[in-house]
Amino acid sequence: MYTLAEANEISAYLPVLLMIIGAAGFAGANLLFSFILGPRRAGERKGETYESGMDAVGTARKRFNIRFYLIAMVFLVFDVEIIFLYPWAQTFTSLDPMSDSSQIWLLRILFFLFTTLVAYIYGYRKGVFKFD
Amino acid sequence: MTEKLAILWPEIFLFIATCLVMITGQWPSRAIRAFTPWICAVALFAAFGAAMSSPGSGSAHGGMFPEIVPYAKMLIAAVGMLILLLLSGTVDRELEAEVDAGKPFSSIRSNRGEFYAFFMFSLTGLMLTASADDLIWLFLALELTSLPTYIMVAISTERKKSLEAAVKYFFLGALGAAIFLYGFALIYGATGSTNLSEIATVFATQTANGGISSLGMIGLLIAIIGIAFKIAAVPMHFYTPDVYQGAASPVAAMLAFVPKTAGFLALMFILGTVGWNDGTAGGGHLPVAIEATLWIMAALTMTVGNILALLQTSVKRILAYSSIAHSGYMLVGLIAGPGIIGGPFYQNGLAAVLFYLLTYGIMTVGVFAVLASLEHRNGDEADDMDDIRGLCKSHPVLGWTLVICTLSMLGFPPLLGFLGKVGLFTSGIAAGQYALIVILGINSAIAACYYLRLVAAAYIDDKGKVSSPVYASPFATRKIAGVVSAFFVLFLLVFAQPMINGAYNASKYVPAVAGEVEHNDHTDRHTQSSPAKADEDVALTHKALID
Repeated sequence: MYTLAEANEISAYLPVLLMIIGAAGFAGANLLFSFILGPRRAGERKGETYESGMDAVGTARKRFNIRFYLIAMVFLVFDVEIIFLYPWAQTFTSLDPMSDSSQIWLLRILFFLFTTLVAYIYGYRKGVFKFD
Repeated sequence: MTEKLAILWPEIFLFIATCLVMITGQWPSRAIRAFTPWICAVALFAAFGAAMSSPGSGSAHGGMFPEIVPYAKMLIAAVGMLILLLLSGTVDRELEAEVDAGKPFSSIRSNRGEFYAFFMFSLTGLMLTASADDLIWLFLALELTSLPTYIMVAISTERKKSLEAAVKYFFLGALGAAIFLYGFALIYGATGSTNLSEIATVFATQTANGGISSLGMIGLLIAIIGIAFKIAAVPMHFYTPDVYQGAASPVAAMLAFVPKTAGFLALMFILGTVGWNDGTAGGGHLPVAIEATLWIMAALTMTVGNILALLQTSVKRILAYSSIAHSGYMLVGLIAGPGIIGGPFYQNGLAAVLFYLLTYGIMTVGVFAVLASLEHRNGDEADDMDDIRGLCKSHPVLGWTLVICTLSMLGFPPLLGFLGKVGLFTSGIAAGQYALIVILGINSAIAACYYLRLVAAAYIDDKGKVSSPVYASPFATRKIAGVVSAFFVLFLLVFAQPMINGAYNASKYVPAVAGEVEHNDHTDRHTQSSPAKADEDVALTHKALID
């Protein structure tokens, strides 16, 4: 057995090719069978956006308040921060508290938190948190 | 870890400044807002100092380019300062005028903080490119260089054209990034490592045993084509004129220097992994497929850039096509390679490229500074040929700056650009690329047509009856940037020796020796790790990094 990393020849990528063919075949077969086997009933109700839901009101192409995007951005900042904090905390507990590596580990996350703080101050100054 | 930190101080200074300007740029107090560019300037000075005292890259690059870091970062910080002078007043002009008129400051409409922060981010990415020793690092650094520039183009003016340019630039940039990332993935597949020096060792072993694997070769070629986007070389050059014209002149000057430098550094590192010695009798050549690709790219880039520049009436479009052509010139240096190890400067193509990046940065800032210092009554920037007619009489300082910097771009003998071009010519001849040198010569002659048209418009033509005359813009620092550039172009030739020595030292290239790669934990992890061991592996990798 060898890994992809050691392979020099294109032929080693045959499994990848088979995988691609399998994936494309699966998707294609599903489309084909639903086209052949699926029932077709055209009509007014069928053409609606939500066939069995609420009636659509107005158009989808309207302007949203810019604040939605700002909040989405702030959410991303804190979301990403949390994602990185979990693995960090998991590893930090397994390090020897007196060792150099644990100090560097701590400094790194402090630096990372500093960048988040900057993002927070930036958002504050931009008025993201003013809900008037 | 600490070794790596030692070469990263310039980036750290720039990053701290980035964080500060993001906040000070939108402070309600006018004095603090106005202080923002000064923070950038201080950080660039600090980065310059740190780069000057920085050790060579040492362990980074695994000794492939052991001396490149100090020169590259000093070059970036120095030209970065010139561009910073140019950038003043690009954004928030209307807003500041309203504040002067008594309206309250609205931070949500202000773009100053973002603009300078993105500028610093881009320079940070550029410096990180210079310190890259790993494909993943290289990719991230290249993207950190490019992503901020897309937004800078969009916010640089209030016109719709900037938005159009930014969208074009963004989508084509994403395409370019995807292409070279695909190339990187194939290189990793062929060599089993993302570390540049390990890749070099694997390629050297493969060369000794009958040639580089086809997979690795395809990966290298795809990576080169993708990076061609950054340097605006031929298959990926289409965006250049539209983007330069759509962006404000100061931002266009930045686009001409920053991504180009990043691209050439990246190409140097990528080509360094295969080396300029294919084992043929003469030696000193890249593997034939890569050399042929680069050869065609260089010849087409020069020719397309210069010929299309002839047809333009917009000065910015002329400069965009000339930027394409200059990329073609510099590719000649990359094809020539470092020559004989320990050979003189004039045989060393890499030194010529590194020196040319400096000269090109200075010249191009000078020309764009002239455009940025002129505007129409309605606030539009000067762009048309008519706008620079008779400039030597109406605005003597700007006019002569334009004449000097344009002549330097042409490679006129006593100026800085001449010295840069000589290095490319001689290294090409030393590498035996006679056909390419002939093409380079012909192209320099073609380029003379449009450069001399610019000079003639400024120096000989009369103002005549122009429908909308241009005025000097109120930002004095832009004029200063132009004058400083022109001064460097005129007089740096006298003091060029230290810079040539710097470029020569930086280009020191140590080819990899064939042999077994010593896999460390870091690379083996990919093949061994199981989900249960993941935590342990993170700690292990971390220890490996510290060691």
